[in-house]
Amino acid sequence: MNFLQPLTLIALPLVLLPVIIHLINQQRHRTVPWAAMMFLMTAKRMSKGMARIRHILILLMRVLAIAALIFAISRPLSGGWLGSIGFAKPDVTMILLDRSASMEAQDLQAGESKRSTALKRLAHLLEQGDYGTHLILIDSATGRMQKVDSPKALLSLPMTEASATSANIPSMLETTLTYLKANNTGRADIWICSDLRENDWAVDSGRWEAITEEFAQLEGVNHFLLAYSETASSNLSVRVENVQRWQQGNNAELLLDVIVRSEGNNTAIQRVPIAFEVNKVSSVVEVELDVLGASIQGHRIPIDGTLTSGWGSVGLPGDANPLDNRFFFVFSEPPIRQSVIVSDDAKIGEAFRRALAIPTDNRLQHQTDVISVNKAGEIDWENTGLLIWQAALPTGVVAEQIQNFVNSGRVVIFFPPNQHAGGRFFDSQWNDWQTAEEQPYKISWWRGDADLLAHVESGNALPLNDLRFFKYRAFESTGTTLARFDDDAPLLSRVNSDRGAVYFCSTLPTAQYSSLERDGVVFYVALQRALAEGTYVLMDASQRIAAPDSLADREQWKTVAPEENASSLSERGLHAGVYQDETYWAAVNRSTIEDTAKAALVETVDALFEGLSYRRIDVEVGDTSALANELWRIFLIGMIIALIVEAVLSLPGKKVESSS
Amino acid sequence: MALQLKRDYLNQKVLERLSTLELHARLPMIGSVSGKHRSPIRGSSLEFAEYRKYVPGDDTRRLDWRAYARNDRYYIKEFEADTNLRLCLIVDTSGSMGFAQNGMSKLDYARRIGGTLAYIAALQGDAVGLYCSGTEFHREIPPKRSATHLSTVLDELGTVEPSGETGLAESLHEIAERVPQRAMVVIISDLFIDPEVVRNCFEHLRFRKHDVAVFHLIEQNELDFEFDRPMRFVDMEGGEPVLADPTIIGVQYRRALEDYLESMNEVIRSTEIDYHRVCIHEDFGDVLAKFLLGRTPKKV
Repeated sequence: MNFLQPLTLIALPLVLLPVIIHLINQQRHRTVPWAAMMFLMTAKRMSKGMARIRHILILLMRVLAIAALIFAISRPLSGGWLGSIGFAKPDVTMILLDRSASMEAQDLQAGESKRSTALKRLAHLLEQGDYGTHLILIDSATGRMQKVDSPKALLSLPMTEASATSANIPSMLETTLTYLKANNTGRADIWICSDLRENDWAVDSGRWEAITEEFAQLEGVNHFLLAYSETASSNLSVRVENVQRWQQGNNAELLLDVIVRSEGNNTAIQRVPIAFEVNKVSSVVEVELDVLGASIQGHRIPIDGTLTSGWGSVGLPGDANPLDNRFFFVFSEPPIRQSVIVSDDAKIGEAFRRALAIPTDNRLQHQTDVISVNKAGEIDWENTGLLIWQAALPTGVVAEQIQNFVNSGRVVIFFPPNQHAGGRFFDSQWNDWQTAEEQPYKISWWRGDADLLAHVESGNALPLNDLRFFKYRAFESTGTTLARFDDDAPLLSRVNSDRGAVYFCSTLPTAQYSSLERDGVVFYVALQRALAEGTYVLMDASQRIAAPDSLADREQWKTVAPEENASSLSERGLHAGVYQDETYWAAVNRSTIEDTAKAALVETVDALFEGLSYRRIDVEVGDTSALANELWRIFLIGMIIALIVEAVLSLPGKKVESSS
Repeated sequence: MALQLKRDYLNQKVLERLSTLELHARLPMIGSVSGKHRSPIRGSSLEFAEYRKYVPGDDTRRLDWRAYARNDRYYIKEFEADTNLRLCLIVDTSGSMGFAQNGMSKLDYARRIGGTLAYIAALQGDAVGLYCSGTEFHREIPPKRSATHLSTVLDELGTVEPSGETGLAESLHEIAERVPQRAMVVIISDLFIDPEVVRNCFEHLRFRKHDVAVFHLIEQNELDFEFDRPMRFVDMEGGEPVLADPTIIGVQYRRALEDYLESMNEVIRSTEIDYHRVCIHEDFGDVLAKFLLGRTPKKV
């Protein structure tokens, strides 16, 4: 139990007042001559049992009445979870608010989301109590700290509004740690408001160990988790997986791959209308959903042939989470998929050219050039999406140009040079050639869930097991290995980069080195994927995931949709919508994981805070009742009851009639 | 003057008010002279009592010749005899009778009751005696009819002081034995005795054919027992003092008192004595008027 006026509790010893008065009374007795001693003696004998208990009860009631009065004045708050706080006030209160899209799940009757409910309850609680000298908010969308003037202000800050982002709770706690350490705060209360989504909490991350250790070193830090772990009983989300604009003559159309996911305990098959809106023209398609939802592949929407770029949206009827009921998309004409192969070996260059020149779809235009190293300066960097570099690692101006090429979102794949290895580039360098002595090398492992060697859409793996490798050139790289030979040497690695992609492949496609060209599926698919990724930035439209830096690449963004609640400049990129910078379009939406992630087990989350002062408060969405209620009324009623009981017990027995 | 002071408990107004009432015995009395009370012995008053057959030795003057003329049998015509009574006032003078409230003790009240009754009895020619019962009789005045005797009784009542333990039970038994003939025994006491002991005394007195009347004096404070702090109760009859908190034992005290009074009622019912429970704040004139009226024979 916590108290708003804890100093009043100093008066608690006053509860002994009735006992003291009783003892004093015992001492200051009066002497009186008395005639009816025979009744007195009988009464004394009788009073040894129940009467003594009655008198003790009277004293107890008086003690309780005073105690209740003191407690009432000290304004106690309900909530057993507050018990561990003690009476000390925090120096600083930090609020870690999960603004992820999943926090917008609502209680349909109350119309309150998890986020708004958490904010209201927390603001009410802090308003009642003492939140210290500083009230600091860290929101998951921006990850930044902001000092808040008062708990009430929490309800109106842009930083507490809904967003389409995902949360990173470990990162928020690290920010909190940095603040607490830097400011040497004393007692700190940390309130985490979250729906415990696995992706937000990253419970398997190794960061938690370090976070827990560092918090354990701080004294007086209390963690409170407002846990909205309950998932909606029924919720649908919609997402556009792929948008393509095709044109034939004067006719154009959009091809959309749409996924509707069903969450909750829907077992019955239901039909749901899906509203498509393109260029302010709406159409509705009714889709039959099963337990998991539904998938619409290649939904065609005819558009005006002159509309080369634009935006649209897909919407669902209202349900538990309004934020995942609409998905924005943008489209533009597919760019020419241009790639450049830099190689001094004509045969090898031709192998690359063949794989890149054949388009995956006849409607796409591919352009592939093979040039020698000494002509690298003539590369059309602006319109090229993929660079194949099969030569010594570049230096000087070319190296700088390649760096810029990657930073602009394009893709480079380095293949081993036949002779001179060159220096170090992208923290990687070529070593010596390795030759298979008896048996050719095989692939022992590759990453099939993502990147160039990912399984195909049907779920089947690429036939990497069929490949044979006779020679490879080992390389040193800090990147992530995507495929590995049976001698553990890497075949393909991806170097970490902020934008774009840099790959190192340790062998060449020709028969002298490997069966990549002969068993061409893997070679073709990987190169086409790299080309598609590299030319993606060449489009006049891009789909982006809501994040603080999702629109950081340009400055002149205008909000196109939704018009009804255009976000402020600082919040752009955090909200789902369509933005335009001259002829360039961007659609910002929540990440896929927001639709699919499950809530982590509360026990798992509890375990993360093991050894720390931590309380989890399970709350329900829509429940805006106070986290802690003032209990003085109860104590006042208790006092009145105690006084009434005392009065009843103290009532004298009925008077004896004097007449016979 | 001193004598006058000793009789100041007599109230002239009460005496005047009660002068129209007479003290009647409920049972036949055997007196020495003619009086206002019925006698068990047939006498020569004008009030016819009964016929009885003549037996040799009867006074022939009392033969009813008319009855003889009608049925040829001898009948003696008998008349009621009126006689005086002996009023024995037994006043409890134990220490507890000194318990006072508003300046008047129980013994003061007993003086008023006893003195007034003695006066009324003497006025109608009855003999009045006084027995003051403390631990033992410390004063005993046998009943007599003379005016000077009344003076002695009243003086004694005025001077007696409460002291010692009660010896009322022994006194009553002794009086039952000592008073030779039927008498009217009026007991004025707070009766702080075991009701069973009281029952024995009353039954003894009744067995001796005495007309017993009791004024049971109680002080209101003894009934209420209202104190707001622990008290040291000093026994007025010399026992050990008791330290007690009335707020704790008040209920038990009242219950004990109630049980006692209930037992006393049972004793009164079974012994059929004339019992009056009197709270000493009551006007003693009213109490005596009620007592006297209750004894007035109802006219047929």
